Amino acid sequence: MPENNTEKTITTLPFMGIQRLMPYLKPYLPKMVIMIFLGSMVSLVDSSIPLFNRYAINNFIAKGTLKGIGIFTAVYALVLVCKLAMDFTSAYMCGEIEMSVDRDLRNAAFNHLQELSFSYFNQNNVGYIHARVMSDTGKIGVMVAWRMMDIVWNGSYILFVLIVMLSINVRLALYIFALVPIAVVLVIYFQKHLIVLNRHIRELNAAITGNFNEEITGAKAIKTLVVEDKIQKDFMDDTENYRKNAVHATHYSAIFTASVTMLSSCALALALWRGGIITMEGVMEIGTLSVFLSYALGILEPIQNIIVTISELVAVQVNVERLTRLLNTESDVADSKEVIEKYGDTFNPKKENWEELYGDVEFKDVSFHYPDGTEYVLENFNLKVPQGTNVAIVGETGAGKSTLVNLVCRFFEPTSGQVLIDGRDAKERSQLWLHSNIGYVLQTPHLFSGSVRENLKYGNPDATDEEIWEALKLVSADGIVKSMDNGLDSDVGEGGDMLSTGQKQLLSFARAILANPRILVLDEATSSIDTVTEKAIQDAISVVIKGRTSFMIAHRLSTVVDADVILVVKDGKIIERGRHKELMKNREGYYYQLFSRQFEEMSIKAMG
Amino acid sequence: MNENKKFPTRGGLVLYFLKGSIGLFIVATIFSMVVAFLDMVSPKIIQYTVDYLIGDSESAMPYYMQLIISITGGKEYLRNHLFAIALVVIVIAVICAIFRYFNKLLNSMAAERLIKRMRDILFEHISHLPFSWHGQNHTGDIIQRCTSDVETIKMFLSEQLTSLFRILIMVVLGIAFMLQIDVRLTIVSAAFIPVIVIYSLFFHNKIGSAFRKADIEEGKLSAIAQENLTGVRVVRAFGRESYERQRFENKNRDYTAFWIQLMKLLSAFWTSNDLISGFQGMTVLVLGSVYCVRGTITVGELIAFISYNAMISWPVRMLGRVISEMSKAGVSVDRLREIMNADIEKDSPSAEKAPLDGDIEFKNVSFSYDNGTAEILKNVSFKVKAGHTVGVLGGTGSGKSTLMYLLDRLYDLPENGGSITIGGRDIRSIDMHYLRKNIGLVLQEPFLFSRTLMENIGITQKSTDIKDIRRAAKLAALDETIRNFDAGYETFVGERGVTLSGGQKQRTAIAQMLIAKPPIMIFDDALSAVDTETDAKIRAALNENTGGATTILISHRITTLMHADHIIVLNHGELIEEGTHTQLLEKNGLYRKIYDIQVQGGGDISA
Repeated sequence: MPENNTEKTITTLPFMGIQRLMPYLKPYLPKMVIMIFLGSMVSLVDSSIPLFNRYAINNFIAKGTLKGIGIFTAVYALVLVCKLAMDFTSAYMCGEIEMSVDRDLRNAAFNHLQELSFSYFNQNNVGYIHARVMSDTGKIGVMVAWRMMDIVWNGSYILFVLIVMLSINVRLALYIFALVPIAVVLVIYFQKHLIVLNRHIRELNAAITGNFNEEITGAKAIKTLVVEDKIQKDFMDDTENYRKNAVHATHYSAIFTASVTMLSSCALALALWRGGIITMEGVMEIGTLSVFLSYALGILEPIQNIIVTISELVAVQVNVERLTRLLNTESDVADSKEVIEKYGDTFNPKKENWEELYGDVEFKDVSFHYPDGTEYVLENFNLKVPQGTNVAIVGETGAGKSTLVNLVCRFFEPTSGQVLIDGRDAKERSQLWLHSNIGYVLQTPHLFSGSVRENLKYGNPDATDEEIWEALKLVSADGIVKSMDNGLDSDVGEGGDMLSTGQKQLLSFARAILANPRILVLDEATSSIDTVTEKAIQDAISVVIKGRTSFMIAHRLSTVVDADVILVVKDGKIIERGRHKELMKNREGYYYQLFSRQFEEMSIKAMG
Repeated sequence: MNENKKFPTRGGLVLYFLKGSIGLFIVATIFSMVVAFLDMVSPKIIQYTVDYLIGDSESAMPYYMQLIISITGGKEYLRNHLFAIALVVIVIAVICAIFRYFNKLLNSMAAERLIKRMRDILFEHISHLPFSWHGQNHTGDIIQRCTSDVETIKMFLSEQLTSLFRILIMVVLGIAFMLQIDVRLTIVSAAFIPVIVIYSLFFHNKIGSAFRKADIEEGKLSAIAQENLTGVRVVRAFGRESYERQRFENKNRDYTAFWIQLMKLLSAFWTSNDLISGFQGMTVLVLGSVYCVRGTITVGELIAFISYNAMISWPVRMLGRVISEMSKAGVSVDRLREIMNADIEKDSPSAEKAPLDGDIEFKNVSFSYDNGTAEILKNVSFKVKAGHTVGVLGGTGSGKSTLMYLLDRLYDLPENGGSITIGGRDIRSIDMHYLRKNIGLVLQEPFLFSRTLMENIGITQKSTDIKDIRRAAKLAALDETIRNFDAGYETFVGERGVTLSGGQKQRTAIAQMLIAKPPIMIFDDALSAVDTETDAKIRAALNENTGGATTILISHRITTLMHADHIIVLNHGELIEEGTHTQLLEKNGLYRKIYDIQVQGGGDISA
């Protein structure tokens, strides 16, 4: 799937793009204010601890008295306990904000996806979309809570320390400040490199995981092809490449940490030298010097933290951008205001206003090309499908057989012309109304994890067990369910992977029948079912489609003989249509060619 | 690395993994201890400077301080030239920085060597495990072991274990320095250590299970989103968006609530632990001041004591965490041991590379997976003459694929399960890799590697000539399709590239097999997703170009099988019919029945 290239050219947004997330942050703003306030208070207490030392040294030790030490201890303890309360509240709130924003964004993304049209899903693969819902949201949650908190804590710590140092001795403080720009330049320089290096390492790591995945899922192929050695060699190249890059990145980060800590020691040495001199001159008390020394040692770390945090914030912008792009994507197929007014939207249907659907379908001057292409697949196409008609669509793989079905289901809308349902433009009623009356069986069946019952009731939540068994019998799938340990309550596994493809196919068929749809869409299975089982399904199909309008995408021509109308598709266009017998009359026709090729070899042999 | 190692203990496996990196780890750890030592010395120097030079105290000094003072010019000189002491601090800082750099670099070199070795060993071992092992283990689980468990062990050995040494040296040194200053104060301060360690140990053990639960819950939430996206057509076609929304929002709400609860616990732990450390600091200060006022210790000593106390407070808090991580790492080692202790595929020592151009004979073959629960094959016997084509027809679960897996030795036939011979030689006595190389097996669901199409087709070849690749692709009716891709044969397939249709994948697999020109070819329903027209084209091309190869065709389609020299029909693991197409039609059995079903309506051609 082509990924959007625009991702690389993200424009830098002010405030890290946070304004786009404002609606999702709004409910938590009061909490954030409290969190920020408490966070800076905690930072204040943390940075004031050395002042207690100073007080003790200057007032008790220097004066040689213990008078007031009881009160001093009580105040100290009180401050610690207050800090505990504030620290706990702000940390807890921070977690709460993170998880809540995270949750709301996930819901918003997920719900938005439920309303997006199929062109979005055709243009973006599942893994990509999934990462938007599950991982971008998480990163943003961390950003608005913990990263924000980091900035507040470190920022107020730095601010407080600067003030205290300046108040102790301006000249001495200025000596220390002289080192700060050096530290800032150092941190920015290394952080820039490290971000690039680490991103590359993560990519290499993902590739290695991919290799393991390939080795395990492709075990059969690797063994039968006897390519173990080749695969191993390539794998070891990958791990070697990873090793080199990882060590290289550490080289940078090691220089980085070593030099920042060294710089801290330099600050200390400087304070000791200049501070020692003025202390000996009697300008400063010895306790004050010790306070100053501990601040000098401690100021560079929060500076480093704050720069690293900011660079992380910048990196999260990509996630903000991607997520907001998803949330801003508009559906190609949307119900109009009037329609929503009357029939309700996807999540709040007004079923009381829904008309019954009978199943007359008509294509009126329909022209269509897919949104990501320009070539017309249908041009001025007209077809009347009266209620109860069985339409079969045949043609080679990849010839565009799904197009008509996509239009009937309103997964896509005609570029021009109309699809009429019961004589009215499909756009005049809601998508949900239409979909609630459609049964759909996919070529590659999709089940949801959960029990057999949950899956079968998917299209009809009110179905009783009796109805379920009836549907199962119709498609001769009752045997499958009976043989499972817990009958209808048996778990089908993730994506139904505890069942064979054939079994999934039969169950998804029963699911479609239970929905009792007026329009049935069948994408015939190609290969997963053996001939005998398939015969059983064919029989079931002929029972089920009676009285319903049906569209069947057929791969085996033997299954279309009885259809009311057969549409023959080639290169995306409908080139022939009619009943089997009519089509067979045209010996030059494509249908005749297809049909006879499938059977001629057999017939020759059979006759001979 | 091919030897069949068994690892009865955790230590055994860890040491095996550590081969080649343990030396570096030791050097790195020694460096980190030097760093820890120097980190502890700096405050000592400051103490004596403040105390002895700036103040007037006459405290006893350790020999290195006397050394520094004598080198730099004596007390009086230093009092006038304080920058000399500052210079000493800076020199120590520079030395410390150099050691710190090498500690980190060496540690990372060791860690990366370790993780490379772990990955390489695991990858190689897994590729030599029998296919039956793959059937018994879940893909996701194995991948998790090879990624996150490997990572856990690496982190433990390279970070937690080395930091354990650093923590210990810091705590020991810190306490030693503190003891030098004042014994009673040290005892008071050290009394807090077991409290902090035990408290944090207790907490980390407890929170571990909550984290695991959170992971599982996240997995479930993620699966709902995943299923919703892969099943988007089903969701839409049944109009169940509201239901999906409810499902997701409910799970999301529970998951979030669980995490917030967890956050509460974590915050409580962090802050209470902070409080304990805070009280420790306070106690030391208050008590220290009292001693100071009474004259038992000097101001400088108190300042140094406070800084030592602060210095060991963080390592002590880490200690509990490191210890609890130890048990996690132990679990990870066990999970890898399970993989490493599984037996790899082995040939008997007398295995040969005999010519494989003879008749293939299945004699009374019986087989069941998992030691005899359900028999997949019952007493199957038939012969494939060299150079002939044999067709196999059978329903789902009839055992036809198993038959081919046995021939390719993906599973070994047990001693009492009959025999499979090629040219009269039992395949169990033929070199396994040699056998597989000479049997071209095209799978029903082919697997393509995340490489280019060219690399995929030529994957079995040492060097790939584009001419050979195109020739094979042409035979598989694939050349034209590939040339229609923008990047042609350089098109990247798989996860990060183009998704091929089922039929295109099957044709790629056929080309991949053809390029190796094996004397035995098996098509395991390998044309099922190819349309009938292309199917016929491929078979015609094969007939012309692969003369001499022994071929086995498995299919549901009568049209695919009817031209075979001989056809066998399997049903529930038993061979029920065999003969040519015409003979089988006359028999009026299962073959005839399937033929009739498939032919239904075909009679209209003459109408």
